[in-house]
Amino acid sequence: MRQKELSGAIRQPLGVRIKRQKFLLLMVIPGFVWYCIFKYLPMLGLGLAFTDYGFKAKVSFIGFDNFKRLLTSSIFWNAFRNTLVISLANIVFYFPVPLIVALLINELQSFKAKKAIQFLIYIPYFFSWVVVGSIFVNLLSPTSGPINYLIQLLGGEPIYFMASTKYFRSVIVVSYIWRQMGYGAVIYIAALTTIEPQLYEAATIDGAGRWGQLWNITLPSMRPTIVTMLLLNLAHVLMIFEQILVMYNSAVYDVADVLQTYVYREGVLSGDMGYSIAAGMFTSIISLVLVLTTNKLSAKFLEEPIL
Amino acid sequence: MTTKIKESRGRKVFNVCNKIILALICLSIIIPIWNVVITSFAKDKDVIGNDYLLIPYSFTLQNYNKILHSGYMNAFKNSLYVAVLGTLLSIFLSVPMGYALSRKDLLGRGFLMKMLTFTLVFDVGIMPFYVVVRSLHLINKMAAIIIPVAMSTFNVIIIKNYMSSIPESLIESARLDGCNDMGILVRIVIPLSVSIIAAVTLFYFVSYWNRYFEVIMFINDSRKYTLQVVLRGLMFEADDALGGQGSYVYSNTKMAVMILGMLPVLIIYPFIQKHFVSGLMIGGVKE
Repeated sequence: MRQKELSGAIRQPLGVRIKRQKFLLLMVIPGFVWYCIFKYLPMLGLGLAFTDYGFKAKVSFIGFDNFKRLLTSSIFWNAFRNTLVISLANIVFYFPVPLIVALLINELQSFKAKKAIQFLIYIPYFFSWVVVGSIFVNLLSPTSGPINYLIQLLGGEPIYFMASTKYFRSVIVVSYIWRQMGYGAVIYIAALTTIEPQLYEAATIDGAGRWGQLWNITLPSMRPTIVTMLLLNLAHVLMIFEQILVMYNSAVYDVADVLQTYVYREGVLSGDMGYSIAAGMFTSIISLVLVLTTNKLSAKFLEEPIL
Repeated sequence: MTTKIKESRGRKVFNVCNKIILALICLSIIIPIWNVVITSFAKDKDVIGNDYLLIPYSFTLQNYNKILHSGYMNAFKNSLYVAVLGTLLSIFLSVPMGYALSRKDLLGRGFLMKMLTFTLVFDVGIMPFYVVVRSLHLINKMAAIIIPVAMSTFNVIIIKNYMSSIPESLIESARLDGCNDMGILVRIVIPLSVSIIAAVTLFYFVSYWNRYFEVIMFINDSRKYTLQVVLRGLMFEADDALGGQGSYVYSNTKMAVMILGMLPVLIIYPFIQKHFVSGLMIGGVKE
């Protein structure tokens, strides 16, 4: 709104502007309708969490009954705990990796080597979770996998990683890093190239060493990118679904079942939709709160709101 | 003088360590993929033990030959069908929208941009989405794995950012020549944006090709399954779970199916990777 008033020094009436932009508006409409149906209608669908939608022909409002059921379900709490543990592990172990890798690549002198490594580490990001999962199944196979071959070579017993409650979460985090690392690194490298070389020259003259340059120039210059990446990460980390759905099996439900997979089994497979929407709402809302809080903090302390 | 020598010595040590770390990272990516590739070309007798890891010592096309004449090809065709049709739809929706959003004077531009970026940070999860698709009566139709996932906010924003950089004067002069916005898009803007549209086309193609959970969520008929679903069944479930083949599937055949599952991505990848870097400057999300 503000923007419109500022730019409207010689503003034409709305009708004239619509007429003048009719083709432009026509181009927006299909996309706009798509967003309404497939992105915003589902948001309204969250309201079904307060109904018994699913089994009966007639849907009726049941208040907080679904939520009461959730709070007493041990499977829900298990999934909730797993979601938090896996997400936290993803943030702690994954989030710094692309940044560190980008900084390491940036230290290489050879332009060709830089390009080649970027090319290579970015490949896994284009593989589906099914392919990535399959690669890990193959890698960790107790009968024919290289990892267990190594373990046996060193005199150990083969480990069935994919069915082990002890190791499964690590497999999830490692495969997540394996697939996503290059994507983050490439974005950070793009941000690194926009830093003015004069800044480094000035710092060198002021006697700053490598570490000094890293702390005083590189990282501050990349702050907007880092914060944006963190926000996007926070928005999706709790919604972890496809990776788990592909890789888990009933042997590891205890440690691997997350909210979205629980929601999938209850809602899509069993048809208890109102209840499963209520279960899914938890993570959606926590994610939104996390993102908005981070954005607020970023606006307050770093003076740059990202959204 | 001494400090300089000292620092350059530290620097040398750092450079060596850096190279070793990066080499290890590269190996961690190459080795798993390499293992899949060589196993897919191996003979049955060589893959029975667990020592067929890095050095290929047999070469045969029999595994690929086997899949070419199997049920996997049907899944491959389904994947291709979805990816091609879906990509066309995605482009028809995203390019005009991206162009319109790139025009600073578009009515409601601020609102639309907010509407798009909000979807990047708020995800309602799978159930409400499932309910919408179900109430549109799309369950078990191929359309269900195309239309509901037809747009990606990132791709629209990439297009918008690129088109914003086209000089205003070009567009103004076309307008003076009597071109309307439709004509400007088709005759001026699209020809100037071929590279970014090509990149976005490939992104969309890969995203359709790789889809998994939408397929198992919306499709019940196994004849309509895409390759990813079949591959998942082959790798993660009992060996005879698929179409009652009933026999043990050797890992070399599995790996050949896996290569089939990543083939288009591997072919397309060299063409997209350079655009992605230039396309997705994240600052462009902010607006």
